[in-house]
Amino acid sequence: MNARELEISAIPEPAETPSGPVATILGPFLPVVRPEPRTPTGFYTDTTVCIGCKACEVACKQWNQLPSDGLNWSGDSYDNTQALSATSWRHVKFIEQFASAGADAPSRWLMMSDVCKHCSAAPCQHACPTGAIIYNEFSNVYIQPDICNGCAYCIAACPFGVITRSDLDGHAHKCTLCYDRQRDGLIPACAKACPTASIQFGPIDELRDRAHRRIEELNSRGTPSAYLYGEAPTATYSELHSFYLLVDRPSTYGLPESPFNPWLRMRGDYLRSLLGGLAAIVAMILVWTLRMP
Amino acid sequence: MPTCTDPASPMNAAGYASRRVTKPPNWHELVAFDMLFNNMTTGLFVVAAAGDLVSRPAFGPLTRLAYPMALLFLTIDLACLVLDLGHRFRFHHMLRVFKPSSPMSLGTWCLTAYSIPLGLLSTIEVLEMAGIREIPAWMRLASITTGIPFAMGAAMYKGVLFSTTSQPGWKDSRWLGGYLTNSAIAIGCAELLAIADLAGQGPVRAIRTSLLALLAINLGFLATLIVELRPAIRTLKGGHRLDLMLTLGAALGVWVPAILILVSGTMPTIASAIIDGIGMVLVLAGNFLVRRSIVMLPHHENDDGIVARWDGGS
Repeated sequence: MNARELEISAIPEPAETPSGPVATILGPFLPVVRPEPRTPTGFYTDTTVCIGCKACEVACKQWNQLPSDGLNWSGDSYDNTQALSATSWRHVKFIEQFASAGADAPSRWLMMSDVCKHCSAAPCQHACPTGAIIYNEFSNVYIQPDICNGCAYCIAACPFGVITRSDLDGHAHKCTLCYDRQRDGLIPACAKACPTASIQFGPIDELRDRAHRRIEELNSRGTPSAYLYGEAPTATYSELHSFYLLVDRPSTYGLPESPFNPWLRMRGDYLRSLLGGLAAIVAMILVWTLRMP
Repeated sequence: MPTCTDPASPMNAAGYASRRVTKPPNWHELVAFDMLFNNMTTGLFVVAAAGDLVSRPAFGPLTRLAYPMALLFLTIDLACLVLDLGHRFRFHHMLRVFKPSSPMSLGTWCLTAYSIPLGLLSTIEVLEMAGIREIPAWMRLASITTGIPFAMGAAMYKGVLFSTTSQPGWKDSRWLGGYLTNSAIAIGCAELLAIADLAGQGPVRAIRTSLLALLAINLGFLATLIVELRPAIRTLKGGHRLDLMLTLGAALGVWVPAILILVSGTMPTIASAIIDGIGMVLVLAGNFLVRRSIVMLPHHENDDGIVARWDGGS
């Protein structure tokens, strides 16, 4: 297992926050001291070694103090979590592919631990009107729940269906990539708990190298269908800081075949809106000019 | 070829392929009302302001009522927004940052900025109606000219907000913003016509003719929008009902009012005022139906029910 924890002494001390009545009043208007950018980190999930133990789900809930979603039998294999939610930031998916008698291909059971993709150009971050969704110093997409106003625009924007608004506090929630643990030099709880190193955490570039080596290894061992999902940008979407090694179509795992960043069309949509308004105003004034004495 | 042992099972070889990936935001009727009142206030303001600029003597008696009414609609619109957010303090949280990359942030700022000249104009009109004092003409002109771009921005952002998402239907509707902005002006014109009929003043015939022209243009935008939405609607459970709602919205919001307004032009004053009033109510009802259908679109489940079979890997 390559996941490692950093030296706590290597973590820079946070800047001292000003206090007192003046700072309290003027605080929101003063320029903030941003933390120094750090090496971008993320997850690389190798689905070929996932055993569906759900240790990641449990570790996530335990560390982040997320409540239970209830004990519901879904009937969908071992997937009783069903979906990522405001209280489930990890979701292990199960895909049963049992061959019928006489079939050439072997039976197989695909498993994947799903999580926020921490897109490097995240639609949710673009959408957020309050500035609650930010990129933190590790280039992870982070929701500040105290600033979130629960407008749900991020939910509508996310092409992966990750973000959910909590019924308890009305704010949006998702994986923080264990920001608190990272700041203290620890690896995220899910990666720490994963017994097979299916979930790997580390600097993104290092993870990409590791993933490419794994692909070569799988190809040489007779799994030509192995490929990486989200590790590189496409024409319509940025690279993901949480990317996957898959062996079947993305849709089989509940991932979009080719994600699209809706912001690529924003400028054109504004222009068409303007056109709609101008067409009406010009027509109206023209009629008035012609019809009025 | 391997196949699933139990094709009826929800979890089989195709895995999650038949499930929709995106989650719908919890936007419902309140958001549809917000869209309508947004268009009612911005449309009325823009039309009244255009009238003021084209001919103050002709439109003056109408804009006296139009601006306070637009302020009332704006108040209702903001109430819808605040109620939808679930807490009275949450709207102003959006004013802590200015983020042009977010249509919602831009729209919030446009609405806020628009409320200032609108409030000022409404105050001027109310003061003048009460005969308290004569307000300098430059103040009115300044309020109108500063208000128009912000009103347009407030009308434009809503469609872009919906089209820049990943939700089925919304993400494909490139002309949603165009349709909404266009219909805002048509709605505003219908409102001004009703005000003119009520006040018994103003260039009623010119407004009526312009409304006919606007409805015709609006029909083009609506037809384009329906063509864009139809592929997504066809994949939905109950999609035919949604399709019917959109068609009904087009009929109620465009066709029937257009016929009524054509007829009202040939009638005596009182009868034509009543028919114009009915036409305006239908324009609003039809536009609400269209907006509600659009807002509720992602809440409909997929209709496929088809579970694809595994073909031995990709």
